[in-house]
Amino acid sequence: MSRKHDEWGWMLAVDFFFAGMGGAMLVIAGIADLFLGNAQTSVLGNFAGAIFIAIGAGFLILELGRPLQAFRVFMNPKAILTFGAWNMTFAIIAGLLFASFGITILPWSGFILVRKFLAAFCIIFGLIVATYPGVLLARHKARPFWNGPGIMVLFFLSSFITGMAGHILSGYVIGESSWFIAEGYIVNSLSSLVLQDLPHLTAILLLFQLIFWAGYIWIKRSGGTDREAEAAQRWINGDLSASFKLGFILLGTIVPIVLMLFTTPVIHSVGACLAILGGMIMRYLVVRAGEDRTWLPGEQKYRSRLPVGNEEFLKVWK
Amino acid sequence: MKRNFDFEQEGIQVKKSCCYFCHQNCGVLAYVKDDKVLAIEGDPDFPTNTGGLCCRGNIALLHLDHPDRVNYPLRRVGKRGEGKWETISWDQALDEIAAKLGQIREEYGAEAVATAGGTQRTDDWARRRFMNLFGSPNGFHNSHLCWIPTFMIETAVCGWSPFEIDLSYSRCIVLWGQNPGASNMPEMHHLSELRQKGLKIITIDPRFTETAAKSDLWLPLRPGSDLALALAWLHVIIYEGLYDPVFVENYCEGFGELANHVEQYTPEWAEPLTWLSADLIRESARMYAMNKPGNIQWGVAMDQQGRASGAAIHARTLIRAITGNLDAPGSDLLTGPSLEFITDEEMEANEYLSEEQKAKQIGADKFKLLTWPGYSKIAEMSKKYWGKVPTAEWMCEAHPPSVFRAILSGDPYPVKALLVSATNPVNSYGESKLVLDALREVDFMVTCDYWMTPTAALSDYVLPIAGALERPTITSSYGCSDFLLASQRAIKPMYERRNDYNFWRDLGIRLGQKDMWPWETVEDAYLHKIEPLGYGSDSYDEFVEYWRFHFPERQYQKYLDKGGFGTPSGKIELYSSVLKDLGYSPLPEYVGPVENEIDHPELAEEYPLVLSTGNGFMPFHHSEHFQIPDVRFLNSEPYFQINPETAEEYGIEEGDWVWIETQRGRMKQKADVTQAVAPRVIITQRGWWFPERKMKEPDLAGCLESNTNVLTSTRDEDCCPLSGTWANRGLLCKIYKVDSTEQKEGN
Amino acid sequence: MARYAMVIDTRRCIGCQSCTVACKVHNELPVDMIYNPVTTVGPTGVFPNLHMVHIPLLCMHCENTPCVDACPTGASLRREDGIVWINEKKCVGCKACVMACPYGARISNQEKGIVQKCDFCLDRVDMGKIPRCVQSCHQKARIFGDLDDPNSEVVKLINSHHTVRLLDELGSKPSVFYIYGLEAQMR
Repeated sequence: MSRKHDEWGWMLAVDFFFAGMGGAMLVIAGIADLFLGNAQTSVLGNFAGAIFIAIGAGFLILELGRPLQAFRVFMNPKAILTFGAWNMTFAIIAGLLFASFGITILPWSGFILVRKFLAAFCIIFGLIVATYPGVLLARHKARPFWNGPGIMVLFFLSSFITGMAGHILSGYVIGESSWFIAEGYIVNSLSSLVLQDLPHLTAILLLFQLIFWAGYIWIKRSGGTDREAEAAQRWINGDLSASFKLGFILLGTIVPIVLMLFTTPVIHSVGACLAILGGMIMRYLVVRAGEDRTWLPGEQKYRSRLPVGNEEFLKVWK
Repeated sequence: MKRNFDFEQEGIQVKKSCCYFCHQNCGVLAYVKDDKVLAIEGDPDFPTNTGGLCCRGNIALLHLDHPDRVNYPLRRVGKRGEGKWETISWDQALDEIAAKLGQIREEYGAEAVATAGGTQRTDDWARRRFMNLFGSPNGFHNSHLCWIPTFMIETAVCGWSPFEIDLSYSRCIVLWGQNPGASNMPEMHHLSELRQKGLKIITIDPRFTETAAKSDLWLPLRPGSDLALALAWLHVIIYEGLYDPVFVENYCEGFGELANHVEQYTPEWAEPLTWLSADLIRESARMYAMNKPGNIQWGVAMDQQGRASGAAIHARTLIRAITGNLDAPGSDLLTGPSLEFITDEEMEANEYLSEEQKAKQIGADKFKLLTWPGYSKIAEMSKKYWGKVPTAEWMCEAHPPSVFRAILSGDPYPVKALLVSATNPVNSYGESKLVLDALREVDFMVTCDYWMTPTAALSDYVLPIAGALERPTITSSYGCSDFLLASQRAIKPMYERRNDYNFWRDLGIRLGQKDMWPWETVEDAYLHKIEPLGYGSDSYDEFVEYWRFHFPERQYQKYLDKGGFGTPSGKIELYSSVLKDLGYSPLPEYVGPVENEIDHPELAEEYPLVLSTGNGFMPFHHSEHFQIPDVRFLNSEPYFQINPETAEEYGIEEGDWVWIETQRGRMKQKADVTQAVAPRVIITQRGWWFPERKMKEPDLAGCLESNTNVLTSTRDEDCCPLSGTWANRGLLCKIYKVDSTEQKEGN
Repeated sequence: MARYAMVIDTRRCIGCQSCTVACKVHNELPVDMIYNPVTTVGPTGVFPNLHMVHIPLLCMHCENTPCVDACPTGASLRREDGIVWINEKKCVGCKACVMACPYGARISNQEKGIVQKCDFCLDRVDMGKIPRCVQSCHQKARIFGDLDDPNSEVVKLINSHHTVRLLDELGSKPSVFYIYGLEAQMR
């Protein structure tokens, strides 16, 4: 039958992706600022972190059945989603304010102490935003593919890979387009150590990603319950396997590793784009894998016999 | 019933109505305001359902005002089956129909007008009354497939049909070809209750049904081999000395002949015929015979086997008789007709049909038991013993396949008009292609229905009929029970719908029967029926509101007071004089299923699988309810059952569309690959048509596409010689996957 | 304060789906929404040695409610009498509870943009009536009652039979108890 009633759609995957990437970008920017000095990441990257989180939040709202009532998601302090919503809000605010320090015409851009505090907030809220989707999924006891701490690690890792990729890309874009931005308004960051090192760091994390995912699928495949094994099977040779293997593992992980080993910024940017694409594909596939709830007795056959939703008889007597 | 429904709001009335989607007629409470039903629920005080309702019962309000309901009299414009109609008034429709029928009677004789019915979902004593007064003997229903052969054979042998099962004292019940788990919810409830207290349940069914799953013993016999099993049971019970010698000695006749006759039918003989081990046959026979008192519940299976039906029913009757499980506490009771209220038969005016017209009844020359020759004999016997006789509508009918053939061939005489009420013959009668041809061919056809069925679509007039909640109902087992359950209408019929009673009455009045129809409404007629009960109700509604039902005090072993049973000899006639007089074997002779691998090895080569059709399944009833989305959603496509072993052999997987073909034709259903059936057995779902599609020629909403009756056989030689029942079960078929390119086509 | 619970006697259930339809009609659900499916396990075994059991499902009205915990708006609630319900005014249709429920008991209503579920017909329960599915069941396979009332049918059944709660290992502590017959063989 049509599953639209009982699962999240692709927009939530997009939310997870942007929240993860944006959160990690804030964390990276904050760490760079706090520990490595001023202007280690591009101003575009700093803004992008906050904006990506906002885009994620936007998709989250669109995923809702009643988007206009979205403010209600702040209401239950015990719920992870509420926690996430508040932290996304704080992260967006902290991120935007922090990034604004990169625009030198703004009167407050010189207040270093404020900037450092904001950098710290970016690290805290960014970290939470980059982590909570994984925690949210990991706690689903009856979703065998999600359940357990593993998915948290994978999401966290992917967040940082895409976050770094985001900064690489932002740095490249800023560098290429700096000719039309009046010199002096922008903190030039093209020569920063952090940006130079990011490709290699990204390559290392991508390698981790490759290994962790192989391990994760293997553990699930041979794991605790039949349902976990069945869920993993979808990734190995089921309906998710092609996108997983080609889209995520090959294009989204292995190819970027190779590209990051080059020294040309253009190639790094292409690698970054692919890594970001991989992160997005992965989130989508993971959300899709949430369809696999642990079946109750006889439920699978029952549901397989229900209409898919385009049957003539469902349309005629509306 | 809706959420937050205010049961105590001002102006609300609670009507004691009933469900009308099968003939259980479960009690329903309808909450009515301003002649609108706002909510319904099962009536907790009703004796059968005690508040329960099945899927169908629950959708009554969706049925009541469904957008596809026929709400106004329709007259065909344009070609037959073109789907073009004009709305006319009832008066105009009735005037025109009456004129046409009068003209046909003038030209061809009254017998040229036939009428087709379905299950008992109408006031069919009124139909009979009309037909008798009109002068035609050619009314018929699907009764041949449902209980009536059983009733008549049992009555021939025992003087009445022991259909009243006295479960509370029973120790063992045999559900022979019955699946109350999908067809009789109240019964299933009682069985489950009693089983927890020790009642043994034996289910005889080729399918592992809902009921079989809750039985102590399941006998998965080869479809159509019930006769062999029954004969082997007789053998075991007699030759292992398990019969009741006192009862047999004092109250049965012909035991010696029976014992000699069944000596040959050993369990070992039956083993290859029934596919059951001799041990299992013995064990089951012993379980029934040694757990007295016990019951054998009727199920349609034996009524649907064609050629072998009569003998199988006969043998089953004898099992009950020789074990003494008749009319004793805890056994099957011979209640006889009610002497307390006016029965359906007394409303039928059978005495007005001349002997000359009776003799013209189509099929009476071939199948004597369910037609005037047999019925007259049984009625005479019954009148003498009980004082009243069984209902003639149902028990005494024209042979449906012969009528359809007469429409096409004019043999034995032309049949020019068909009045269809409460049935969709294309899907519910045997050999659908033949039926469809006949419906296309017949000169004049009127259909009374709720829906524009494939049959209605071919009619000249379609008349809107009042359904559940819109009609009062008396439930009395085809007019043959000694009790009755009464329900009232919750509201007046909506739109221009009318009771079928009023259709027959108004038609009758227009054809000169005015004096014979004194009751203006159904309620008036019902009041007339129940008046002798002496409850003193001024109106039928008052009776329903205050009394609701009438159950007479139960009397066991009436034969002791009455000096025997209601047969010619006054004994249970194991060796039946009634059947003998009609020219049939007085003892059940073995005959194989209509098509089988032993008698027809060549046929079995081309059609190697054994087919059974016609079993009921939730949530549908016969060919109904496909247009109610809420139940259709749970069962949206037709499925047939096939064993995994056979499926693998044919390369068929769960959910594949598969053609199923017999000598008559083919139709397709989806594969339900299940252990529930034996290898080599195919069991199809019945009734399927697709009301969501266009109701136009030639497809007529896919009425042949997945219709299992395309496969069934109604040839005279395949029909039961006693009753004329045709063959839904024990047929041979072949199967092959539907080519993906023809997925969307019809046949 | 009552503590409502349901006992489902699978020895009686025949899979007729009357409860499914009664519920849909009562709650006026869109045609493709089902609160309480009835599944069939089997026939298991090899012909002719078979078992079959029907399992009516519904919201388990858990004591530990992953759904209520997951709800960011506070629309999902558990009453003191144990009934888990949704305040439809507050629900925004985020489906966090749908995903959190181990029993598939929560369904999003596309027309209304909210999530809905079985709430033991609390409108009827508050009127002193039994849930619609319980009333509709011919077979009396669903028994509804108060765990705090020692004379209630549910307490008697739970005390006198071995009962099972679905996915009990997850620790959600359902208020729906299943009685299986000896013949039941789960997959």
